[in-house]
Amino acid sequence: MDKKPAEFDLDALFAEARGQAADPSPELMARVMADAIAMQPAPMRAAPPRRTSRLRQFLNAVGGWPAVAGLATAGVAGLWIGVNPPDAVATTAETLLGTSTDLYLVDLMPGYDLTFAEG
Amino acid sequence: MPFDAYADVSDEALLVLYANGDGDAARSLNVRMTPRAFGQAMRMLGDRAEAEDIAQEAMLRLWKIAPDWRQGEAKVTTWLYRVVANLCTDRLRRSRSVDLDSVPEPEDDRPDVAGEMQQAARMTALQDALAQLPERQRQAVVLRHIEGLGNPEIAEILEISTEAVESLTARGKRALTAILAGRREELGYTDD
Repeated sequence: MDKKPAEFDLDALFAEARGQAADPSPELMARVMADAIAMQPAPMRAAPPRRTSRLRQFLNAVGGWPAVAGLATAGVAGLWIGVNPPDAVATTAETLLGTSTDLYLVDLMPGYDLTFAEG
Repeated sequence: MPFDAYADVSDEALLVLYANGDGDAARSLNVRMTPRAFGQAMRMLGDRAEAEDIAQEAMLRLWKIAPDWRQGEAKVTTWLYRVVANLCTDRLRRSRSVDLDSVPEPEDDRPDVAGEMQQAARMTALQDALAQLPERQRQAVVLRHIEGLGNPEIAEILEISTEAVESLTARGKRALTAILAGRREELGYTDD
C-alpha cells in the first residue's frame, strides 16, 4: 500500500476501524441482561374474573341497593294504587279509557264485511 | 450472534414490550444496544474495563427509563449514544481532575507495534490518536466516522448545532491526520 504523505487516507482507516469494532464480552452481556431482568416491571396481567352470585349480578345490573330501594317503593305504591285507587286516579282512568264498550266496537277490518256479504 | 426473536420489531416497540414485562424484548434490546454502547465507549476511553462499565451503566439507564419512555421524541439509539457520550465525558473529566497519573498515556512508542500485524497496529495507532483529540472532537469523530451516524443525529446526541458538528469533525480529522502522519511507516503506509 503505497501512499504519499499528502494522500494519507484517513477515511480508509476509519472504514477499517468500523469493521474491527470490539465486541462486548459475554460477561458484559450477562451483566446487562441481569440488570434488565432486575429492573423489568412485572408483566401486566388481566385480573381473574370474580365469581358473582345471581343477586350480585342483578344488583350490578340495576345499580346497587339504592336502586333496589327505589324499585321496592315503586312496587308498593303501584300495588296500593291498584287495591285502593284514589278518586282522582279512578276518574282519570274513566276519562282516558272511557266507561263504555265503544272501544270494542271499532271496526278494524271493514273489508271482511264485504267479502262475507258477497259470499 | 445470539438469536434476535424480534428481528423485525423497532427499537422503540421493543422498549415498550420490555416495559410490559416481555423477557424476549429485554434479550433483543441487549443484543442490539449493548455492542453499540460498548463500541462507542471503547473508542472514547480506549480501556476495555471502563468501556464495559460505561456500557452497563448506560443500559441500566435504558432499563430504568423504559416504563416512562416518550414515544416519537427521540430514537432509542440516539438517546443511548447521548447517555454514553455524557458518561464518557464525566469519566474523562473525573479521571483528569482526580489523578493525572492514572490516565493511560497515549502509547506513542510501544516497542512491540512494529512486530504486530499491521492491521492491529493501525487500529492501535488510530485509538491512540483518537485519545489525543480534545474530548468533543473525539466524540464527534467517533460518532461520524466510526459509528457512521449522520451529522443531524450527532448534533442531537451532543446537543449542538449541525454546523458545530461539521466544524468538530473537520478539526478532528485534521488533527488525526497530523498525529498519524508521523506514524505512517508503522501503519504500513510507506513512500515510494
